[in-house]
Amino acid sequence: MKKDILAVFGIVLIIALLISGTHIQSADEYYLTHIDDITPESETVTLSIRCDTVLQNYENLDPALKSAEFVPPDGVILPPTEYVLREGDTVFDILERAVRYNKIQMEFQGAKESPFGSVYIQGIHYLYEFSCGSLSGWTYRVDGEFPHYGCSLYKLSDGQNIEWIYTCALGQDVGAGWMGEDEK
Amino acid sequence: MGKRLLTSLICLALIFGIIPCAAAADETNPLLIAQGIIDWKKADIGISAGDDLLCGKFSELAGSTAGDWYPVGLSRLGKADNYAEYLAVLKDRVEKRYRQSGKLSAVKATEWHRLTLAVLAAGGDPTSFGTDENGQPINLIADGTYDRGKTTSLGRQGINGWIWALITLDTKRYEIPENAYNTRDDIIDKILSSQLPDGGWALGGGVSDPDMTAMALQALAPYVGADAKVQKAADDALLCLSALQLPTGDYESWGTRNVESTDQVIIALCCLGIDPMRDARFIKNGNTLLSGVLRYRRPDGGFVHSYDYDENNPASLPDMSNSMAGEQTLLAMAALWRLQNGMRTLYDFRLENEKSDAEVVFSDADIKAVNSLPEKLTTKQYVTVTALLDKLERSADFAEKDECRRKLAAAKEQIAKIQAEIDDINAQIREKLYPFESISIRDKKTVDLIVSRYNALDDDDRVKIERWEDVIKTKTQVDGLLRALIIGIVLGTVAFLLFVLLVFRIYRKRRRKAKETERFFSQFADED
Repeated sequence: MKKDILAVFGIVLIIALLISGTHIQSADEYYLTHIDDITPESETVTLSIRCDTVLQNYENLDPALKSAEFVPPDGVILPPTEYVLREGDTVFDILERAVRYNKIQMEFQGAKESPFGSVYIQGIHYLYEFSCGSLSGWTYRVDGEFPHYGCSLYKLSDGQNIEWIYTCALGQDVGAGWMGEDEK
Repeated sequence: MGKRLLTSLICLALIFGIIPCAAAADETNPLLIAQGIIDWKKADIGISAGDDLLCGKFSELAGSTAGDWYPVGLSRLGKADNYAEYLAVLKDRVEKRYRQSGKLSAVKATEWHRLTLAVLAAGGDPTSFGTDENGQPINLIADGTYDRGKTTSLGRQGINGWIWALITLDTKRYEIPENAYNTRDDIIDKILSSQLPDGGWALGGGVSDPDMTAMALQALAPYVGADAKVQKAADDALLCLSALQLPTGDYESWGTRNVESTDQVIIALCCLGIDPMRDARFIKNGNTLLSGVLRYRRPDGGFVHSYDYDENNPASLPDMSNSMAGEQTLLAMAALWRLQNGMRTLYDFRLENEKSDAEVVFSDADIKAVNSLPEKLTTKQYVTVTALLDKLERSADFAEKDECRRKLAAAKEQIAKIQAEIDDINAQIREKLYPFESISIRDKKTVDLIVSRYNALDDDDRVKIERWEDVIKTKTQVDGLLRALIIGIVLGTVAFLLFVLLVFRIYRKRRRKAKETERFFSQFADED
């Protein structure tokens, strides 16, 4: 009789265990696999990728790219998405994470190969520099400001908002005043 | 009395201040300034001062914007260096890029232009530089200038494309064939027609930019004097540049005072045969262009991009020498030195640079280098192997030539295979391991394969795997899921066995009871 009760107890225990899940991890493993989980305590930044100016200058676009496959009708390649900020993350780190996680095509020149010591973004989503006229390419804005330098040199802090924007006029069509006339 | 003492002290200071003038004369010697930049660059990338700049670490950059301008500067200053190694790597890179769609670039003709200058500087022939996939010689001049329009307009990237096409065409005054897409006049007209009303040029918009204006002048320089239209354009451009010069001798571009704009103006004047040290239009308050440039010089011999301190811009610290500032000043010093010595202009590669076809000797040291290649190669040996093989192919015959060729070809193939493996692992990671949320136990095989391929690589090659931390993360997740599954199965099995045991015991108990009852009844039956 005693043995039966023990067996029943054992079975109940095991079923309870199975229901609660058997994915048991060490603290290190848990930390590693949840590094990008957003919790109330985590520091985060937001990133979006847009190409609205291409829609406004569609006639200048490389004919091979004139398709919704490359230029989304609403100009949005990636809507504002929140990412966990890791120690020392730059704008480039977050961008690279975002395009990898969302399987968005990207090509860039490494910091070592570029003369200004920063990564240079050549193309995102098959839209490259000069794909839409001779003054076109990718630029970025953090909290509404256009930094004067490369994205792998910009260290981020909690709560910042990064926008990757395609420009067809050296930034003037997206409000980057520093690039030319309105300053002078 | 006190006042008089002070006055005489000031006088003394002035006298002593004037005495170092002899040393100051050296300060303006372009060769010495250039040597300072070369020494800084070597120190910056960790090459000892006695070694060539164009070696290993630096040659890795062949074909990139960060690399190609330095050999141009060195060569135009008449400096001896390891041009052959740089050229060999450059050729290998060009051949590879010619096998991709768009070749050197789908949109930027300036890739051809920069490469052409580097090839010429290193002693190569841009009209026949390696071979394409059909075995045809690669003609950087045709593909990058007069026939570029057959693929994409030279102006695709803006005025830059036209300006540099003309500079490239005129490096050796290359002739344009009858059936070419663009003529010289086409290109000159394009440049002239984009001149702004104040005589300058700009990448975009209506405000003249000193860099673009100076580069347009560098391109037009060979035609000034021969063509009235060009002459007028150049005169206007010079006035524009003179007006843009700051009282300190330097220039401002895109809102920032910087050394590179000033460098480009020096090059432009030298191309036109104007001495920047003497022309009154370019001396402000006694400050020449060169004094403008020297404001940016650092004690280590290198140059800063700008002194306008931007606390947010880590690329241009006012107290740290900068690669682009160094390379453009190097070119400006080469231009100035050539002008002062009555040599051809910076981008005019005719005659003086014509090298005699001296016989190349594959030395004992080279043979030793071949024989000491390790059994297991890494991508780190790419530059060495590529340069040795190229030298061997050009060298006179020697006893072990075939043997060396076989070894080097095998080494090159092995390195190419490793590079292909690295590229493929990177592609696999990109394609298969994202997004992380969709990773399941079914991906275990893929993840394990990537990990085992990574482990098979040498340490020097492993660093070329991108985002390895993501692979570790995925591997941990997949292994965790597998462990969870195993625990689940084991526990399930135990539960099942316990259940069977329980059922069996209940069944046995019932049987026993039934038997007892039977025996009990049968006892009654016997008594009947």
